[in-house]
Amino acid sequence: MSMAELGPEIFFATVAELGAKIAAKEVSVEELVRAFANRLQQLGPRYNALALPLPEAAIRKAKDVDKDIKRGRLRGPLQGIPYGVKDLLSVAGRITTWGAKPYAGQVFDYNATVIDKLDSAGAVLTGKLSMVELAGGGGYRLPSASLFGPGLNPWDLTRWSGGSSSGSATAVAAGLAPFALGSETSGSILTPASYCGVTGLRPTYGLVSRHGAMALSWTLDKIGPFARTADDCGAILQVIAGKDSKDPGSAGKSFYYTPQYARPMKDLKIGYAPIDFTDRADAAARPAFAAALAALKETGVQLIETKLPQFPYGPILSTILSSEQGSIFEPLIASGKVDQLADPAQIAGLKASLEVAAKDYLKAMRIRRAIQDAYATLFAEVDVLVTTGRSGPATPINQPLDAAPATTGGFNGIIQAGNLAGLPALAFPCGFVEKLPVALQVVGPPWSENVLLAIGKAFQAGTDWHKRHP
Amino acid sequence: MKIAIKITRRKLAAVLVSGSALARTSAQAQTAAPADPLQAAKDRIKANSDALAKEQLPMAAEPAFQFKA
Repeated sequence: MSMAELGPEIFFATVAELGAKIAAKEVSVEELVRAFANRLQQLGPRYNALALPLPEAAIRKAKDVDKDIKRGRLRGPLQGIPYGVKDLLSVAGRITTWGAKPYAGQVFDYNATVIDKLDSAGAVLTGKLSMVELAGGGGYRLPSASLFGPGLNPWDLTRWSGGSSSGSATAVAAGLAPFALGSETSGSILTPASYCGVTGLRPTYGLVSRHGAMALSWTLDKIGPFARTADDCGAILQVIAGKDSKDPGSAGKSFYYTPQYARPMKDLKIGYAPIDFTDRADAAARPAFAAALAALKETGVQLIETKLPQFPYGPILSTILSSEQGSIFEPLIASGKVDQLADPAQIAGLKASLEVAAKDYLKAMRIRRAIQDAYATLFAEVDVLVTTGRSGPATPINQPLDAAPATTGGFNGIIQAGNLAGLPALAFPCGFVEKLPVALQVVGPPWSENVLLAIGKAFQAGTDWHKRHP
Repeated sequence: MKIAIKITRRKLAAVLVSGSALARTSAQAQTAAPADPLQAAKDRIKANSDALAKEQLPMAAEPAFQFKA
């Protein structure tokens, strides 16, 4: 059976479904890779999602994988599956721009560890994907803060795809790649996953190697997958996780995706704040969030009203991020090339970051320890937390990020809190508002990825939001 | 006189939780770009510093990173 005979829905199949078609010899890896690589090249620019197509290398790799399969050298569920990566990950001999003009010609001579791991598993890299410049370092104000232009949402080109992993979420949503890798320092996986209607996983800090990735904040950066389902995210995480002596932040832990050993949903206590789904949510999104909460409850979990520990999360995260990015990008700032960035707020934020006092960085890092302890106490009472992925659907493409009214109460600040404490989180689509997806996020204690994935899987078994596509 | 204060990390968290609610800052929505972005960025750093200054920490509270020999 050819790709044409399989029809256009093949581009929206899950990793597991594609793997089954390869195993059943309904499609060869080369056919699959050619089709996805072509689609990424043709449609990627429509969404400003494509940074660098890699079709020739992908087809060479695909032919090798076909030979491996023919010889019975089977390498797991990602074998033969095309994918894309955020352009902050280095691929040997290829341009890696970090989404920023000053680095437009940058080339490394080594692969990021996650790319080597995926290569060993037989996955096929078809291209690099767009991102907000420097993953948002300095603090961007506009969606246009990227070498590639603003990330356009595949559901509505007048809306933003979210950032900073814009191209990664878009590629999965638009059927340009079955899965993609992105990164999160503070919201850069959860936000685009929510806005684009795909499933995104932020792993526990230290679980996935950052070697070969642009550093924005050594103590906050994480790399994670975007895919159609929680199940796919589990399979991908199993491959990319693990000890890496090249990453000083590596926790030295592996991850095994074990849905077969998932705790019964009825045993899980999920903390939530009702106001997140009412007053703190966009008015138009409240019915969708109410229905999503009901669907979550139908999986059997126990929902328990909970309060987050109160800390000044924003100032703490901002101080740590500013200090670390200031040190990392000091050469860029000193050279004056920082002025080549697209977003004036980001340029100013990077320059100002050199002025953070050492006492403030240390104070923030000391409070951070207390945050970790407060969440350890909280997770003795509930297994995970649930809230909205974002308060509503994707924002208009020209809307400044600081235009949304600030909200308080509920789980406000959970993205900063989760990143400060190194907690894993999963965002998955839970409904639609005016033809745009909205999402839930579940957050758990360190190393609870299997619990989060089980909740996502149970939710997706009872709903079809994740199956819809633009 | 030397006074030894023993405090567990959990207790420390409880102290901070009770005290920090007052120190929270809420960003105000903006519709126009600041006239001087650099000054605005410096003002944010100052505001962050002020918020952190309100947090009380015992001397034993160490930063969330460790030097390993």
